[in-house]
Amino acid sequence: MREERWLAWGAGGVLVLGLLGQLFPILWMVNTSLMTQLEAATGSLFPKAPQWGNYLEIWRALPFFQYLKNSLLVCTLTTLFALGVATLAGYALARFRFPGAELFGGSVLLTQVIPGILFLIPIYIMYIAFQNWAREALGLEVRLVGSYTGLVLTYTAFFVPISIWILRGFFASIPKELEEAALVDGATPFQAFYRVILPLALPGIAATAVYIFLTAWDELLFAQIPTTEATATIPVGIRNFVGNFQNRYDLVMAAATVATLPVLLLFFLVQRWLIQGLTAGAVKG
Amino acid sequence: MALFRFWQRYGLAYLFVAPALLGMLLVHYGPMLQGIYMGFLDLKLSTLRLYLGAPFVGLANYREILFDPQSTFRTGFLYAVRTTLLYALVVNALTLSLGLLFAHVLNRPLFLRGLGRTLFLLPWVVPSYVVGLLWGFMWLKNGVINTLLVDVLHLLPEKPHWLIGPLTFLAIVLPTVWRGWPFVMVTYLAALQAIPQELYEAAKVDGATPWQRFRYITWPSLRPVTAILLLYGLLGTLYSFNIVYMMFGHGAGYPGEWGDLLMTNLFRNTFGMWNFGLGAAASTLYMLLTLVLILFWYRAFREDLKAR
Repeated sequence: MREERWLAWGAGGVLVLGLLGQLFPILWMVNTSLMTQLEAATGSLFPKAPQWGNYLEIWRALPFFQYLKNSLLVCTLTTLFALGVATLAGYALARFRFPGAELFGGSVLLTQVIPGILFLIPIYIMYIAFQNWAREALGLEVRLVGSYTGLVLTYTAFFVPISIWILRGFFASIPKELEEAALVDGATPFQAFYRVILPLALPGIAATAVYIFLTAWDELLFAQIPTTEATATIPVGIRNFVGNFQNRYDLVMAAATVATLPVLLLFFLVQRWLIQGLTAGAVKG
Repeated sequence: MALFRFWQRYGLAYLFVAPALLGMLLVHYGPMLQGIYMGFLDLKLSTLRLYLGAPFVGLANYREILFDPQSTFRTGFLYAVRTTLLYALVVNALTLSLGLLFAHVLNRPLFLRGLGRTLFLLPWVVPSYVVGLLWGFMWLKNGVINTLLVDVLHLLPEKPHWLIGPLTFLAIVLPTVWRGWPFVMVTYLAALQAIPQELYEAAKVDGATPWQRFRYITWPSLRPVTAILLLYGLLGTLYSFNIVYMMFGHGAGYPGEWGDLLMTNLFRNTFGMWNFGLGAAASTLYMLLTLVLILFWYRAFREDLKAR
């Protein structure tokens, strides 16, 4: 069994090395955020005295609170809406046989092949056209560009296809007999879905929700075009901030740390069943 | 009457998919068709007000991108195609093999395995725009990577410029792999744990070598998962934007021919140069390129997907 022990040691060594490589950049980000401007720029290894004031300074230098609020609001609303739409469609794909089901399933997947850059401008112009039309024809002031509404609408539509695909897998893994029993007992198809299947799919739905939230938190391309300063999300805020503070790596890393913290906390809270939920989707399909 | 019966039978299904369908038509397919049409127009800053009424120029944009040796747009685009394809290839090869390796290492009783898995996964949660900023800072000539390589470990004689020239490719690949492989690992780990242990025990009794056990038991069970992971990986890398965008002067900088991906290249050329028609034509070609790669993927894994 000497070979076994040798293998265990080797595995342990690889693990420690891998873990170091994975954690070092994150620790370095936090480490740098506590340096002075000079220390960060000259490549010091450690701050002489931790500059906690950096975190106060970014709060003063830019409306970080506003960005944080915007991101939380946009990502939460997006998650709720996308989840609602995708749950219905995912269930229909998993359970109902209807003419056009294959076509619908295929076009859900095909959306993922469209590069964002191709429909960024059309969406933007479409929103402006809709605003003008609503004002002239209906006399309504609808703001889609530079508002939460436009961003939430766009994101919701964005994350629906991938969520449908994940959720379809969860619904497919629940035994059909459960609905059939409910139908025999006199439930309508909708009641069977709502009362019987939905509670069972809750872990999968929750995992999908966290996935949508994390992905929305990370979105930068669409966030920067149709937003104003008042509705800018964190990535846009940080990008503008970096532009103004090119050489303040201490502050930039403090801002980066603050942007990472909320999703990191969320991840720690839910990691056990998030990993289970998402990997189950990929393993079982 | 027939209509009524149709509705009774399929009504609920159509109601369930209707919101998703509407969203896809309004935000994906409608704008996509407009985008494709834009590729046939001379749409610049001066004609932007006309939008789809801008002068129709047929295939002129495509001709410039594919055949005009004078075009600077074409030069940058072709470099970006090359770099993006290489990036997709290298990143996915590394994430899949690292993920598979570490899944095997972690698939044994280990001290604090659950915590280890969580810590490995942390980079996956770090927003990719932060990844770009952070690694861009670490790659600087006076950055921590050079400090570690040269001053501490003495692996290199002098500090290289990681963000200039061909080294840039390494500088964009490593952060992407760093953030991407842990998710591959946890997925492979879940798949490994779903393989019945009896298969391995039977193989051991029959005297199969570790390689044979991997080749004939592990790998066939992992192929369907690999197919899905590769699909996610391909789409993620072909359409990768945030990391490169934030690493090089937050979009203001030029990443150079070895760092510029199609997304960053087209974003800069479309919005920076106000070349919307040309940009749309190039984006359409980009989409076709992705479609072709996905078709190859489908052909390679068709059987595994059916088996699921």
